[in-house]
Formats: sequence, C-alpha cells, structure tokens
Amino acid sequence: MATSTPTSADIPAARPLARKRARPGDQIFHAAVFSALLIALAALVWLLISVVAKGATALDWDFLSSQTSSRASRAGFLNALKGSVVLMIITIAVAVPLGFAAATYLEKFAPLSRDELRVITRRRRRALELRRAAGELTGPRLLASRLGIALSAVWARIGPPLNTFVEINLSNLAAVPSIIYGLLGLALFVQIMGISKSLLAGGLTLAILVLPIIIIASREAIRAVPRSIEQGAMALGASRWQAVRSHVLPAALPGMLTGTILAMSRAIGETAPLVVVGGVAFGTAVPSINPLNAANEDLFAMPLQIYTWVDQPQEDTWGPLAAAGIIVLLVTLVVMNLLAIWLRNRFTRRW
Amino acid sequence: MADSRLTSPPILHRPTEGRPEPRMELPELNIQADAGLPPTADEVVVFQATGVNVHYGKFLALKDVDLAIHRNEITALIGPSGCGKSTFLRCLNRMNDLIPGAEVGGTITFHGEDMYAPDVDPVDLRRRIGMVFQKPNPFPKSIRENLSFGMKVNGIRVDDDRIEQVLRHAALWDEVKDKLDQDAYALSGGQQQRLCIARAIAVNPEVILMDEPCSALDPISTLAIEDLMRTLREEYTIVIVTHNMQQAARVSDRTAFFTVQQLDGGDRHGILAEYNATERVFRAPEDPRTQDYITGRFG
Repeated sequence: MATSTPTSADIPAARPLARKRARPGDQIFHAAVFSALLIALAALVWLLISVVAKGATALDWDFLSSQTSSRASRAGFLNALKGSVVLMIITIAVAVPLGFAAATYLEKFAPLSRDELRVITRRRRRALELRRAAGELTGPRLLASRLGIALSAVWARIGPPLNTFVEINLSNLAAVPSIIYGLLGLALFVQIMGISKSLLAGGLTLAILVLPIIIIASREAIRAVPRSIEQGAMALGASRWQAVRSHVLPAALPGMLTGTILAMSRAIGETAPLVVVGGVAFGTAVPSINPLNAANEDLFAMPLQIYTWVDQPQEDTWGPLAAAGIIVLLVTLVVMNLLAIWLRNRFTRRW
Repeated sequence: MADSRLTSPPILHRPTEGRPEPRMELPELNIQADAGLPPTADEVVVFQATGVNVHYGKFLALKDVDLAIHRNEITALIGPSGCGKSTFLRCLNRMNDLIPGAEVGGTITFHGEDMYAPDVDPVDLRRRIGMVFQKPNPFPKSIRENLSFGMKVNGIRVDDDRIEQVLRHAALWDEVKDKLDQDAYALSGGQQQRLCIARAIAVNPEVILMDEPCSALDPISTLAIEDLMRTLREEYTIVIVTHNMQQAARVSDRTAFFTVQQLDGGDRHGILAEYNATERVFRAPEDPRTQDYITGRFG
C-alpha cells in the first residue's frame, strides 16, 4: 500500500469534515409522529384492557356453548356464533364469485373500445354467414346465433359508456354507509323477493355490502400482474380469455384472497344493516349451521348480540356478557387479519 | 430441411366458431448447431409493408413505411429512441391491437395476404408469428409449464421429448434439464430470455419477432442469444429490434434504419430512412442520417 495517499491536511484549501450537530427540527418531528402512534395505540390498549378485565370472568365454555336467554346468568353466545358462521358462508358464496368475475371483467375486458367491439361483431357475423352457407346452422340455432350477434352489435354501442359509468360509481359504492345497504337489503330481499327476515336475507345484504370492496381489491391484485405476462401468452396464440385464465388470474389470486378476507372481516363486524333487515338477539331457536336452511333461521349474529346486551339497562349483569362477546369477536377478527397478512407475505410475487 | 409449410404457405386462418382443428404433424426440429453464417439469398418475401402509418390516438408514431422482409433472414430494425422501430415490429403480429388507441394504416401482407383484413383472426396469426419481448417475461410457473402452455392452446401434444427438443434448440437444455419443474423466475435473466425464445419456438411459428431481446442482459448472455439466432435462421424468419448497432452488424442480413423526423410545427414522427443489406448499410450508407447515426454523431 502506497503511503502517499493524500489526506485533507495535505491540501490546504480542503475544508475539514464538519462535526455532528443537533437538528432540533428532526427531533421535534420524530417526537410528534411517535406520539401520534402512541395515542392511537393507547386507545386500543385501553379498549383491550377494559374489555378483558370485564369479560374474562364470563368467558368460558358455558358461554360459548349455551344459547341466548333473557336471564343474564344463563345467556350464552351460541346462537350468535352459529349465525355469524352461516352469514359468512352465504356472504362468501355470493360475493366472491360475483366480485372476482366483475373485477376480471372491469380490468381485462371492459377496456375494449367501441371500434374493437365492432370488429369482433363483424368477425362473428362473417363467420356466421360462412357457416350458414355451409348448411351447418339451421332453425332455432341460426336464430339464436343471429340474436347473439345483434346483441353484441348493441353492446358495441352502449358498452363503453356504461363501463365508464360503473367505474365511476364503484368507489362511491364502497363508501356508502352500511345502514343504507341494510335498507336496500330490506327492500330488495325481504319486500320484493319475499325472503323472510332470516340469515339468508342478512347474508345476501352483507354480500352486496362487501361486493364493491372485493371488486376494488381484486382489481388492484389483477392490475399488479404485469401486462407483459398476458401479452406473452397472447403472443403465443392464446386468446385473451386463455391468457387471463391461465396466467393473470392465478398470479393475482393471493392478492384477491387477501382483499376478500379483509372484506369479510368488515362484514363480520357489521351491525347496522342486520338490525334493519330484522336481526334478533333473543329467541329459543338456535340456528343450524347448514347454510341451505338459512332462509328459515332467525337472523342472529355476534355484533347484534353484543349490541343488544350492551343496550340492556342492568349493566352489572349484562355487561360482562357483552365484554366476553367482544373478546370472541376481536379474536375472530385478529385471526382473519393474520391469515390475510400471511397470505400476502407467503404468495405475493415481486415482478 | 423439407418443410411443406415453407414452400406453400397456408392461407391465413379464418376464425370459425368452436375450437380449431388439431394442427398438422410437426416437422422435426433441426438440432445441430450451425457454425458459420452462410448467406441465404432467399428472395421469398414474408412480410410486405406498404405505406404503413401508425397512430397512437392523434399522435402519428410512424409514417409511410415501405419494407419487405425476406424468408430465413435476420432483419434488424435500428434507430434512435422514439423512431418507431418497436412500433413497427408490433405491427407484424398485430400486437398493436392490444394497445388501446393504436391504429395501423396502410397495408401489411403476410405471404401476400392482407394481415389486417377484418376477418383475419389475430389469435391464429400470433401463433404463426412468435414474439420475444424486451424484458424476459416467463410465466410465473415452472419451466415445463412455460413451454407447455403455448403448445396446449395450439393443440400440440405435450410430451417430454418435445420439451427436450425445444429446450435443446434454444440452447438451454443442459442448464435446466434437472429443474424442469422449478419456478422459471429462479433462472438468470439470460436463461429466462432463452426460455422465452424456447416458448416461442415450441408453438412452431414461421417468424420470430424480437423486441430488443438482449437489452436487459449481460454480454455473455447476449452472445449466447446471438449464437442462437444464427442457428434459428435456418428454419425461421427473424426480425429483431435493437439499440445495439454492433449487434445488428454481427447478426443481421438486412438492416432497416428508422429515424425521427421533426416537422416545422414541432410534430415528431418515425420514418424509415434506409433499408438495405446490412453490409451496405454499415459500409456505405446512402442516407446521410444513417451515416451520422452509425458513426455515432447522434442517437
């Protein structure tokens, strides 16, 4: 190693390195953001401590396994637990297929422009004429094909503006207060469709409540898959649907599921729409866990039960029950959110 | 190699409803590497572009391009950024159809047939005209699934022999033969790009379009891919977009030089300045703009 490496001392004009100095602005900002975090956490910790202190004594196996009652000493959480399970099953069964399909459509198929749609229609019409000339299509099948082409010509005209309208309204829908969805559910499912005020009506209401959230989260997940993947598939001679089904959706699925779980953890805590659709908290019938019976089961749910217990005038007797219910609900929520985090960390890919 | 497909090109596939018929028997792939660079004076024109204009919305990206691309040759498209060379490449397999607002004017024929006729099926066209992208874009799946996807959607039977054949052809077999079921993203960038080439070959195209295939790769991987291109020229027609003039000079038979034309109104658009045998473009360019570009005076 040569010893002639110049140091700053050898160069008269060089400024020596500055010493550390205090930067009060940084410290004040650091303190401010840290205390903001502390305030948020403190509220949460206070809630947890007060709930656990109050509810720990009431929370035991009896509480979980006995049905609700008008006498606090006998009342349990079983109806609400089973009701919430059935609600979740119905909500998932309705909202997930609809939400995933709608997100796929909006992200991958709706952007087709009017001209592209016209080209597709022309192509179909030409193919139909060829097949008709070859005598392959006759009678009702010919009529059905013609009807389909006529519809796709109409769609080429009204589709693109309609899609824009849906796009604009989707994020607004996610922000609509949940009680409005309750009123919608009451009008649509109970009054118009004639479903009784039951777990089925409640589950369907929660499904339309979370639908916009699932669609938005799924769209994000689909958008995160680079277009180059889809284009790579289409450059091999795959149709758009083949490219989307085989590569885009599998790659987006973990993100879509994460969004779904977060939407479900919102649905499981919703109270207001269930009150409107006819939720109950007292009754003799314990709902069966079979979702096919849901149309005949009273609308029990965890948050409804808690709300009713908290609302009772005798706070000393009902309070611990409500607190125990809150613990159960909180644990469920934490488990669901942990699952979502795990899914995201385990399967999300960096492109 | 006798290949009926090349002597009498089939007409473009018209879409019919329902699934396409299973494809013809596949010709054996030629596995021997080709050492030299014999001149292939094949005068069969695969693509003929006449007066091609490309708009992105109102913006005219490429103006009035006339160009013929010949069979079993490597045609290089070079030029400065924004000159429309990638745009032109994407016209050749109708990839521009997938970009909202893109509109292709003029005519491009493929074996004499108008590629942009309203009843031509772009999906079938893309099977016959494969494409390799600038950034390696393997599917987020195993190596085997990367190859089998294209074969499945095109009705080609997938078996281990075919996979081995394709990977050998893409000079990748020795590196991946023990990890066919591993994730393709575990491969290096150069290997991923060769996998993408293998994936394109697997569906047995007639043409392979390459959009700056080496721009994301190191020099060693670049050389591997250039060697591969020389081998592939025996059976395929290759069109390559490249920023790298040395690469164009090394591998291509013909070179098209695109440049940017600036109009008085401030509008800029790409034009084709010169198209000739690579040797001539680099040794004795006819257009002064080509001269300036290849001698490094701009671009």
